[in-house]
Amino acid sequence: MSALGELQRMRRGSGGTLGGKKDNKAAAAFLAPWFAGLLLVTAGPIAASFILGFTDYNLIQPPVFNGLDNWTRMLGDTRLHHALGVTLVYVVVSVPLQLAAALGLALVLDRGLRGLAFYRSAFYLPSLLGSSVAIAVLWRQIFGADGLVNQVLGIEGQGWISNPDTALGTLIVLNVWTFGAPMVIFLAGLRQIPAMYYEAAATDGAGRWTQFRRITIPLLSPIVFFNLVLQVIHAFQSFTQAFVVSGGSGGPSDSTLFYTLYLYQRGFGNFDMGYASALAWLLLVIIAGFTAVNFWAARFWVTYDD
Amino acid sequence: MRRIALAVVAALTLSACGGGGGGGAGQELSKDPVTLRFTWWGADERHKRTQQVIDAFQKKHPTITVKGEFKDWNGYWESLATTVAANDAPDVIQMDELYLSSYAERGALLDLGTATQHLKTADFDRTALDTGVVKGKQYALPVGLATYAIVANTDLLDQLKIKLPDDGTWSWDDFKRVGDEVSKAGGGKITGVQSFGFDAGSLNVWARQHGASVFDDAGKVAVPEDVLAGYWTYLRDLAQAGTAPAASVTIERAGGALDQSGTATNASALGTWWNTQLPSLATASGQKLKLLRLPGESQASSPAAYFKPSMYWSISSRSEHPAEAALFVDFLANSQEAGDIMLTDRGVPANPTVRAAITPKLGENDKAAAEYLDTVKVGTAPRVTPNGASSIEAIIKRHTEEVLFDRQTPQQAAKSFITELQAEIDGA
Repeated sequence: MSALGELQRMRRGSGGTLGGKKDNKAAAAFLAPWFAGLLLVTAGPIAASFILGFTDYNLIQPPVFNGLDNWTRMLGDTRLHHALGVTLVYVVVSVPLQLAAALGLALVLDRGLRGLAFYRSAFYLPSLLGSSVAIAVLWRQIFGADGLVNQVLGIEGQGWISNPDTALGTLIVLNVWTFGAPMVIFLAGLRQIPAMYYEAAATDGAGRWTQFRRITIPLLSPIVFFNLVLQVIHAFQSFTQAFVVSGGSGGPSDSTLFYTLYLYQRGFGNFDMGYASALAWLLLVIIAGFTAVNFWAARFWVTYDD
Repeated sequence: MRRIALAVVAALTLSACGGGGGGGAGQELSKDPVTLRFTWWGADERHKRTQQVIDAFQKKHPTITVKGEFKDWNGYWESLATTVAANDAPDVIQMDELYLSSYAERGALLDLGTATQHLKTADFDRTALDTGVVKGKQYALPVGLATYAIVANTDLLDQLKIKLPDDGTWSWDDFKRVGDEVSKAGGGKITGVQSFGFDAGSLNVWARQHGASVFDDAGKVAVPEDVLAGYWTYLRDLAQAGTAPAASVTIERAGGALDQSGTATNASALGTWWNTQLPSLATASGQKLKLLRLPGESQASSPAAYFKPSMYWSISSRSEHPAEAALFVDFLANSQEAGDIMLTDRGVPANPTVRAAITPKLGENDKAAAEYLDTVKVGTAPRVTPNGASSIEAIIKRHTEEVLFDRQTPQQAAKSFITELQAEIDGA
């Protein structure tokens, strides 16, 4: 039961014409290059990193097997625990905010604004740029001691990204700002809800809020679920923003030490690639765990109309 | 993530077939055309000058082509680690003291003692050469020398009518007092001292003035907890008294490039720097900057200042053309032609012959930097940073942040610093 399957089911349910053997073949043809890339470029390294996770490997000399050393070491690694905490806060705070912003704007845009295509593109743009180095550099400037935020607020002699109490907050704001991708998907989902439901509800005297709660939310829930799963995975893997904003250190005072950033520091900063590989696999397990919980919880709030 | 995984597989498949090359540095030069790869970190000015040096070398040796690969300091080490892991290391590598042991002890560098047929070191002092020795072998050749110093903005001090004490006898208390006066007169915008606590230089000096050293000869962490606690107490006092800017401003500036620093933007009157950074700072600042002796030197039992090689030349142990690489390093280190182009961009040349010849060609600030090096009293240089401790500056920086934001007391930071740094060394 893939999330993409949910989307297809949604579309079929509302009279779409997707599916059929012919289409599947075409899809396979379009996906083929991607699969070739996956096998050649991604699958091999993934397998290799699994093996390296059980070695002591300093990048220069050949790896040496060390059994479960890397894994037992994680138990006592306080910086790792700290990095996990930072990442969790980031995921748990930024993803719901981001989805709320995305849904809110999708609802506004869905009401048939003039120049919709323009607004849709304008709001979508940040999600294309959000994880780029350029935006992270810009963020550094905006939240710096002499940055835009301080100029607007009239604050002097204090920086946001260089203060451990606020640095993570700026990264959360950055992630929320990239709500464009889920917004576009929400918008597509909203368009699929037949207008007659709303008309019928209005005839029965249901107000805007009741319509939203009783019609929009249940019918959109598969889309919400899809976005939630995707954005949680995405947020766990965030790297660039923290790397650029903190200059690679995860600072100040480790306040922006994302899991992936710590992994990177171990591997490339400390020549500790065996441990870093094991960390990568732990992250996979963590993300898989979160996704599994999401799927389990979905049966209590996601409704399918078929 | 994907990129990390990629690097890993490249490393895994290639390290298995590594181990070739090397050992041929004493051979005759090849008669066929040879291409060398040469990597360095630096800023634009250095890239331009280095390319001129490469051109001069190629003119002299038409069968050898040198391909330059340059980066910023930050990306340099990650990229070097990956290319070495992939058995694709550049032939000639600009190396730093922090990483020298990490590479040499793992067998990534060529013993330059095997390359003496093409690479002469007769001009160099023994003490200078020793800075490139790891486990008894000459793995690297120092390029230039630098020493830790105070950079004072004398225009700013004159403008605020503040007199500098005699830098031959001043203490860290005097240093703070002058800083306080500047901060008071500066009215918030200008602070007296640009806080340190982000580099290994300041910690080395502090430890040595207290009769200690960061590492002992065996490469273990040797700095006592109370000395370290004193270092962080001093830095905390600077921030709390307003002698240095607020913690977040200090940290933001420390994370930026040289020209965003308090010294370069004329926002701090006093700062700790390597003497060779004076010309770049002066260019950025546009005001009159002066090198001063370190505070506390006259109170210490022996000089804490020392000559640090600004960087080294080294050759990959897996180079397929070690003889030609040695010849190129010889040109970089010994030829007047290269010296005349580079001047002090990579530090005051460690080769005394080259240094003497370029002295008349230097500008005002380069000359001041060179003169400072000649007149400062120095002690024996600390041991090369041990294998595994290359992240020492990141660890110092993090603990300084912890102290400046009151998340750890100086004592706690000292304890945690020692444990963490020693664990990195033990794990290497």
